[in-house]
Formats: sequence, C-alpha cells, structure tokens
Amino acid sequence: MADAQVTLTVDGMDVTVPRGTMLIDAARQAGVVVPHYCYHPGLPSPAVCRMCLVQVEKMPKLVPACVTAAADGQVVHVHSPEAKQARKGVLEFLLINHPLDCPICDQAGECELQDFVFQEGQAGTRYGDYPKRFNPVEDFGPDILYVPNRCILCTRCVRFMEDVAEAPVLNVSERGDRAYIGIDPDHRLDHPWSGNVVDLCPVGSLVSKDFLHKARAWDLDKTASVCPGCTQGCNVTIEARDEVVVRLRPRTNPEVNRWFMCDAGRADYRWMNRGDRCEAPLAIGDGRPVAHDWDDALTTFASLVGESDGPAVVLFGRRASSETIGWMLRLLDGRRTTAAIQVPEGPEAALAAVPNLALRRERSPNLHGARLLGADADWDAAIAALGGAALALVVDADLSDAEAAAMSGAARVVHLATVADPRLTTAALVLPVTTMAEEQGVYVNRDGRAQRYLPARTPPGMARPGWWVAASAWQRLGADRTVPATASEALGALPAFAGLDHDALGWHGRVLATAAAGRTR
Amino acid sequence: MSHDTEPAGPVFTPARKAELEALAAKYPTRQALLLPALWMAQREHGWVRPEAIDEIAAELDLTPAYVRGVVTFYTMYHTHPVGRHFIQVCTTSPCGMCGAGDVVAALLEHTGCGELGATSPDGRFTVIETECLGACGFVTPMLIDDDFLESVTPDTVPELLARYP
Repeated sequence: MADAQVTLTVDGMDVTVPRGTMLIDAARQAGVVVPHYCYHPGLPSPAVCRMCLVQVEKMPKLVPACVTAAADGQVVHVHSPEAKQARKGVLEFLLINHPLDCPICDQAGECELQDFVFQEGQAGTRYGDYPKRFNPVEDFGPDILYVPNRCILCTRCVRFMEDVAEAPVLNVSERGDRAYIGIDPDHRLDHPWSGNVVDLCPVGSLVSKDFLHKARAWDLDKTASVCPGCTQGCNVTIEARDEVVVRLRPRTNPEVNRWFMCDAGRADYRWMNRGDRCEAPLAIGDGRPVAHDWDDALTTFASLVGESDGPAVVLFGRRASSETIGWMLRLLDGRRTTAAIQVPEGPEAALAAVPNLALRRERSPNLHGARLLGADADWDAAIAALGGAALALVVDADLSDAEAAAMSGAARVVHLATVADPRLTTAALVLPVTTMAEEQGVYVNRDGRAQRYLPARTPPGMARPGWWVAASAWQRLGADRTVPATASEALGALPAFAGLDHDALGWHGRVLATAAAGRTR
Repeated sequence: MSHDTEPAGPVFTPARKAELEALAAKYPTRQALLLPALWMAQREHGWVRPEAIDEIAAELDLTPAYVRGVVTFYTMYHTHPVGRHFIQVCTTSPCGMCGAGDVVAALLEHTGCGELGATSPDGRFTVIETECLGACGFVTPMLIDDDFLESVTPDTVPELLARYP
C-alpha cells in the first residue's frame, strides 16, 4: 500500500482513497451517500449544516463527514443509530420554520430537503402550536427570486458568489432563527454566471423566474446535450415537458464546465420550441413552392448539385453539427468550394475561480469542428463568393437582409432550413432539417474536445438531420454508395474523426488528436 | 451623539484613522479590525449607516455584503437610528420561564416604545430582546447602554428607567 492511499471501512465496505480525501467523498466511493446540504464538490466546505454527521469508531463525538479527512483503518458508520438520530434532530430543526409548501414549490421532486426528510426525518412535528417565522419573497436578480421561508441557510449561494464567481454580493444576515440570505443593497444578482446559485440551492429557496411554475420536476424528460451557445461547449441537460424545452441545466463535466454554466447559455433555448418550422421539402415550380416527398426532393437536390459545374458556396448556421458539415462538404467533393460557419460575437465573461471556463466571444459551439472539417472560410469572404457561384447551400444560417440579397448572385440556391426564409426568392429547393435539439451529433469545442449531444424532442414533420440529407444526395450521385444508418456512423466515416463513434466519446467527450491543427488557425 | 437620518460625515477622519491603525498592531489580520471599526462608526453616528458600511469595507478590504452580514449578526450594532438609551432584555429560556416576558411588557409600556425595536416618541429609549446575557441566576437581567442590571422585575422598571433621562 502506497503512502498516498488510505484504506477505511464505511458501513462495512472497505474503500481505498487518496490521503486527504474527505469522508463524504470516500463514502460516496463506497456507494454510501451521506446526507448533506452545505457540502458541494465545487465549493469550499464550511460544515455549517451539520447534516453530514457520521460516527467514526474511537472518536468521542460524531464528526461532519465533509471536513473530516479519511484516515487509515478508520471505521465509519454512516447509518448507525447515533448518527441517524443526530441527523433526524437536524432535520427537525430545519423543518420548524419551513413552510412545507411543496405543492407550489418548483424544487419539489428534486429537493434535497424532501429527499433526506423522507429518508431519515421524522413524520409529524412537535412545534405545531407555534406560528412559523415569515419573510417575504425577495427579488435578487434578473432571473432569481429568493424565498427566505424555504431557506435552510446552507450558504452554498453565498460561497458560490464569493469563492467561485468572486463577486461577493450575498451574505448571511441576522442570526439564529431570524437569519436569512441578504444581498448588498447596492447590487443585484446579475453576474453572468449567477444562475448557478439556483442549481446549487438544495431546496426551493433560490428559484429561476424563467422556470417559475412551468413544470414539475418529475414531468421533465432530461436529455444529455452540449450547450450550443459558444465555443466553450459546456455540458448541459435539456429538460423538456411534453416536447417543449423548458430549461437547460449544467451537466457535470470536470474537464469542461465542472458543475456550472453561464446565464446566457441557460436562456438560449426558446428557439428550440419555434412553432413556425419548415416541415416538408419544397421545390419551387411555376413560381410557387410545391411540397414533395423526400425521394423526389433528394433526386432534385442531387441533380442540382450534379449539374452545377463551377464554384460552390456553403453557409453553415452557427449550430451546425460536425456530421452535417462533414457530409455537406463530402457531397461537394472535387468542386471549388468556399464553406464558412456563422460565428456571431459577443462579450467574453469568465467564471473567475475556474480556469479555462468562460462564456466565449465566438458564439458558435462548433467553430473548431468546422475548421477541422474544412469549413474554415471567412464568413464575409463566403458571402462575397456568392457572386458567380454555380451553387450555394444555406444550411440553417441566420442571414442579414444584405446577405439574403447577395444569394441572388448564385446560379442555384438550396436552402436546408429549420425555418423558411421568404427573402431567399432564388432558392430552387427548401429542405427541412432538424435543429441540434432534435438530432444526435457532435460538436468540437475550443480545446478540440469532441462532445456528443442527443435528441431532446421529436423533429417537426418531415425534418431530417442535415448530414442525412447531404449523404442521401451524395448516394444518388455515384454507384456503390450507402447512406450511414446513424449519426454515429456518419461521424466515423469522416476522415477528421476517423474511426470514432459516438459511444467512444462517452458522456464527457474526448480531445481529438487531430484537433491541434484546428486550434492553431 | 446624533440620532437623525440626515447625511453624516465620514467615520474615518484622520484622527480616527490613526486610532484604527494603532489598533491594527493588536490583531492578526485587517479583517479582525472589523468589530472595532464598527464601534467607531456607531459612536460617531449613533448607528451603523449604510455609508459607514461601505467606508469600512473599503478601509479593511472587505466587501459591503460581508460587513453587512456582521452588522446584522450582532444585536449591539444598530442598522437604524435608536433612542438615546438602548435597552436589551434577555428572554432566553431560563429568563423566559421566570417572567422575562412581563419585564419586556412593562418596559414597552413605561418607555412608550409600544413595540420591540421601535424608538419611544420622546427619543429616549429603544427596547429589544436579546439572547442569553449569562446571568441565569439573577433573572431578569438587562443591559441599558453599557450598564448591566440584574433581577429586574416589572415593579422595578419605572424606577430604573428614571435613572436614564
């Protein structure tokens, strides 16, 4: 046994952990969750909630597991009668002034107070004869409400703002049973990363105004995804209720975003629910659009590509997947092609205490994937190249009026659209494609990490992923060509991702060996 | 001592700044100077003004939110103007069981404050409840300004108050 490791027993299970590991982490490794409130892996532990008290043999008193280091030979009892009795007492104190308004609380169903009271608390109260303390709801920031009555004073929010965001505007005001979370009267909770306090809050005390009363936690379908907001590529969960996306929350990835995501990313989901989506392939005949089935539409698409011998321009929207970019370029292989991805820019906003985590200036999740795949032209150069182009493909890009007008310079225009654009009067074909929320795909972030995302809702009408549309047209242009059956196969067939499939990327993604070239550009 | 809410001068005049820096040598960190600095502000203004909180925070390299948390934690610091005499009555369990509630009621009546935390119309008194004053054998104890009084009963209240014009 190396010195750097210690072996201890937690509830009868032996576990070996690095020296310095706290008991709460060691217990988790042994498969035992120690109930806790103030402890959070992303924050310093103050041991104020007294919820993680455990019994350690030969120690005179119960110890808080979040600040007690594991030692060799320790025998820890998380569920001994003494430890459970202590935690039951803590829970009883927490509930004395708790309003028990779970039926109208957004946190219900994902509330740690509910969970642990259900697990270890006592039924009923001994304080039924006394009125509960009441404090009114406070407006803390653009998207944050503070409900002091539900607060258990774990101080996670205070420590997040102080130690992680380094914008310490919160405090614990007053003392004892009068204590509440206070905010500096000259400030609001409007830091670009302040939304994280809502996730960190173990109860329904800090709630999002945006999500307020929108859905119950147990009605939500949760899908692992990647934030499409910027080149950081924070891992997120898309949470949808009856096919309507209601919020995005961070998904833990120690290599990318830890436990956090920024407010801009959090708010960037409404476009996923648009009702005016393009639902069927449209060919423009006799000056008006006519709906076709995919077979006809793809044959038309293939012949438009086949007959255009001249330079081609591809304009990718900012959220184009690697599969779509790769296959669209494969379709145009052998042509002089100018391909660019749209990258809106905005102010950068870093999370102070976490290295290499920021809302990035380049607001496209796949800028680095696009570069890797060859869609590396300057956007303005691509727009300029439209004049005299034999073929232009617009893949779900948001064009300005001037850019839309410039499309008339191309001889043939095909619009792969999530939403039809009446300004593209010269488009011969409009093909409905899925958004990133409706397809499986891979984004490559600024560190060259390829990360997959999964479909969170059903595509509207006949919309199909962009890569499938491109591959199906490509198949019609040559013999012995087969369309990949899945997005995973579509990815593996691209040289830049040779041999990779989605499963190999896992849930935290993988840094590509080939990405180094992409980063230097 | 002024008790109004009109704008007031800074806490850290050159003299008081020197006083604070002289204290600095006795404490391990600048953060530890917070309590004496707050006492200075309260002596100057009668209560801890929001402007004083900002001033102290800047002086000690702390954040206003942190200083505010400390001010509200201690009952001896006032976050709003109080009467000339500040009365703190212990109502923790032993005193509560021995009739501290009646003492509080008598105080509110005889001072004219009407309710806890309010200042009497003549500006003389403010009464609050406080946690254990450490004199459980001599119920009910209370503090009037810096004077510690023991064995107070509702009957002795008027006479005690008369000593504080």
